[in-house]
Amino acid sequence: MELLSQTIICGILLGGMYALIAIGMTLIMGVMNIVNLAHGALVMVGMYVTYVCAQEFGVDPYLGMFVAMLVLFFLGCLIQKFMINRLVEVESILPENQVLLTVGIMLVLTEGIRLIFKSDYRSVVTSYSSDTLYFSGMAISVPMLTGFFIAMLFTFLLHLFLTRTDLGKSIRATAQDRDAAVYMGINASKITMITFGLGAALAAAGGSLLLPLFYLWPDIGHLFTAKSFIITILGGLGSTGGAIVGGLILGIAESLGATYISMGYKDVVGLVIFLLVLLFLPGGVRSLVKRWQA
Amino acid sequence: MRRSKWQLAMACLLSVCLLVTVTGCGDTGTDAGKDAIKLGVILPLTGSEAMFGTMEKNAFEMAYEELKAAGKTTINGKEIKLVFEDDQGRQDVAKSATEKLVNQDKVALLSGGYSSACTNVIAGSAQTMNIPFVAVTGSADDITKKGWQWVFRGTAAPASKYTGALWDMMDNVIKSKTVAIIYENTDFGTSSAKGFRQECQKRGIQVVFDQHYESGAIDFKPMLANLKNTSPDLVFAVSYVMDAAMIVKQMKEIDFNSKFFVGGGAGYTMPEFKENAGDASEFVASTTLWVPGVTWPGAGDFFKKYTDKYTKEPDYHGAQAYATAYVLIDALNRAGDLSPAGIQKALKETDLMTVMGPIKFEDWEGYTNQTKPSTYVVQWQKGKLEVVWPEKVKSAAHVYPVPNWKER
Amino acid sequence: MNKIKKLNWLFALLVLLAAIAVPWVIKAPYHLHILILVMVWATIGTAWNLLGGYTGQVSFGHAAFFGVGAYAAGLLNLHYGLSPWWGMALGPVVAALAALPIGLICFRLRGPYFALAMLALGEIFRLMFTNLTEFTNGAKGVLIMPEITSKMFFYYVGLTVLVVTLLVTYLIVHSKIGYYLVSIREDQDAATSLGIPTTFYKNVALLPSAFFTGLAGAFYMNYVAFIDPNIVFNLSNVSVMVILVVMMGGVATTWGPTIGAGIYIALGEYFRATLGSANVLVFGILVCLIIMFMPNGIIGGLETLKQKFFRSGTGLPGGGNGEVLRS
Repeated sequence: MELLSQTIICGILLGGMYALIAIGMTLIMGVMNIVNLAHGALVMVGMYVTYVCAQEFGVDPYLGMFVAMLVLFFLGCLIQKFMINRLVEVESILPENQVLLTVGIMLVLTEGIRLIFKSDYRSVVTSYSSDTLYFSGMAISVPMLTGFFIAMLFTFLLHLFLTRTDLGKSIRATAQDRDAAVYMGINASKITMITFGLGAALAAAGGSLLLPLFYLWPDIGHLFTAKSFIITILGGLGSTGGAIVGGLILGIAESLGATYISMGYKDVVGLVIFLLVLLFLPGGVRSLVKRWQA
Repeated sequence: MRRSKWQLAMACLLSVCLLVTVTGCGDTGTDAGKDAIKLGVILPLTGSEAMFGTMEKNAFEMAYEELKAAGKTTINGKEIKLVFEDDQGRQDVAKSATEKLVNQDKVALLSGGYSSACTNVIAGSAQTMNIPFVAVTGSADDITKKGWQWVFRGTAAPASKYTGALWDMMDNVIKSKTVAIIYENTDFGTSSAKGFRQECQKRGIQVVFDQHYESGAIDFKPMLANLKNTSPDLVFAVSYVMDAAMIVKQMKEIDFNSKFFVGGGAGYTMPEFKENAGDASEFVASTTLWVPGVTWPGAGDFFKKYTDKYTKEPDYHGAQAYATAYVLIDALNRAGDLSPAGIQKALKETDLMTVMGPIKFEDWEGYTNQTKPSTYVVQWQKGKLEVVWPEKVKSAAHVYPVPNWKER
Repeated sequence: MNKIKKLNWLFALLVLLAAIAVPWVIKAPYHLHILILVMVWATIGTAWNLLGGYTGQVSFGHAAFFGVGAYAAGLLNLHYGLSPWWGMALGPVVAALAALPIGLICFRLRGPYFALAMLALGEIFRLMFTNLTEFTNGAKGVLIMPEITSKMFFYYVGLTVLVVTLLVTYLIVHSKIGYYLVSIREDQDAATSLGIPTTFYKNVALLPSAFFTGLAGAFYMNYVAFIDPNIVFNLSNVSVMVILVVMMGGVATTWGPTIGAGIYIALGEYFRATLGSANVLVFGILVCLIIMFMPNGIIGGLETLKQKFFRSGTGLPGGGNGEVLRS
């Protein structure tokens, strides 16, 4: 019983942080309808910004996170405006060449970081890095718990932003129907730019939350790209609430798989769930909710 | 229809361009040094293994400068030159690099190879092209087990032989009854675990837990919680750099105690491990091929000189490359003629004391041209890596059994 | 019309003759080695192009077929001691068989969902081949000792594989089936409403695509002589790389993948040999630039350039430019 509850709690905490990274992707995929393979690289760049803040200026990672979010917001805007947007406007046989462009961006970001920081493994050790709470036989890591709550807070704030502000509403409108949004007087190219920036900033936040308990090297991005995809599809494209549920499902499933099958098959469990959802519930969790409401 | 004609014309034009580029590739190095003896070194200088590739390149260059100062890099008026190639940690690129070095640069011998995959490919190509190849780090058993006469491995032990000193210590001090094995599912991890499992069977030690994992996980607690339930006397873990730190940190978090935790080399001896794991690294032991404090001549000097020069501490990978450079240049100096066969003969006769211990390419237990490795058990004590076994060369007494987390 | 068609075949024949003559002109094994790699990638690219380019089903999981083909050859040697050359016969068949259930599963999905499902399948293959150590040797991989070492031999085998792939793809695309495939890419709903069984024709495109990718995999195993799951099932180094190769050359064109492979491999190797540790970075920048400025690949880009030339050419007094280009 202890083993089971420990497994599930670990899964939930980790899933929450995955979810924050995935929300960035779900926003981008929802509004722009492209598969962004550079997402993990953006997480990685964000983590390096936080790392530099902590190492050079002694800023706590939870504060450095805000610097990273700002930097990544602008980086995201630039990438969208000057690179990806070009492709949206020109005609091509396969729209998927946008995906390939994100692969190129990923290569450039990863190798650029590698030139600056080398391939060395870096980590930020804080006074609270290895603090642990013990609770009826279960061990809960403090930075993981903190990370989970900050991730949830960000998600809540984002939800408010998307539902209560004009800008947020424009983003949702563009995601639902780009053409209709343009007819309503929304500047779609500005909205996509801001969305991409926002997605990048959230990715940076998610990465920074992991920094006190994980470590960092230039190729770390791949890890997050794959997870974000799975969560995005699990939750349903463009749905923030869905991404949270997706993150939690993935976290718990991986944890259970690791405990009761084998650590080696942990990722297989995640991928199989992903395929099953694709096949039998293509709209993700969101479509389930809609069906239930109707 | 005109469209496809146009395509064809372009195809012709581009293939001409391609041929020109390809021909251009190799020309850069051919005329520069007709009078030089070239020594090709293939290392991952970009990609995810670049950290180690760069360290080994630095060590190679450092050894070369020392030997140059000692006047050993000129043979009969011909200068020895190091030619580095990047394999990006990918084996098809390693094959291209080998082809280029052998056929374009006309190197006298080959060295390098970080990952087992790349080393396998370089070794196979070297064997078919009859060029001597001295492996630096790649530790897969297969590399020297195929009976390949052109392949030499001096500074790296076969993965299943990494634990020699540990077994000696097990028999004399630890005497565990139950052990647990956790390892990453890579070539190195599976080979090490296999070797360890066989030794356990031989001694009738019960393996109570045996699981592998995918490198790069954030959360090892599911596996560790299962491991805790089996309460083994000893845990043997084979992990890549940062997984090692994550594992011991999370062991502390879930308060899992064993009498002895020993890593199978790789991750558990790196400076980064200590840095990331913090005080959870205390009393963690590991088998290893080399430590800065080892008693071989020049080992301490190498560590100090490298640290001063590159402002970063080298680990055993650096020492492997450094020692290999000495072995190679020694063999070239002794070689009667500088044909591949002459160099092969000289390598075979190598008997050299290096910072990695004595290097001698021997045939034993099915291995060909493989140095008998000297291995150590080291333990982190007060933030320093101390040699605790074999008795003869120890720098500190071992701590066994290790105190429980809560009693520290 | 017929005359032009004949001219095309004549051109193709000339290219083929030139390719056959190459090893007698360039004898350096290193250059032949690079050309062999080019042919491997050109084959995978052409195979991918049939499904991704013409049919519009962008697969991010072709590493699965490549790996299965390579492992078929490797495991024959490992378990049964047979020559890995038998893998050239078995590998493509196994890859095509593997494609059957995959097609059944994935063709229920469209667009980015299909792409992601293929991506997941590719990764599942990698993880299964890593974990099933008894059968596949796990992460240790399969190492063989090649019996034949002559580069020229590999060159001609590679060339044969590529020519067969090109020919079959060309014949499929230029038959009635080809029109069905393109119609699926352009508008699947319209195709369905016209009575084209779209799922069936997607499978028709997938099977040869998997078959030839598997063939390239088996050839690769024979040539490089070592494989492990991380190499042949690699997402970025196989699945994504093949898409890059095709997109750089020209999607949905006969010669695009071959040109793309030539440029990709030769330039990659050239950068690696000359630029030191920045080589991948420069390469990444180049990829970005090509896709940004030639979204339809090099052939597509030249096509556009040509059209621009003609348009501006006719208006100007010295419009003879276009004439020169046309001949």
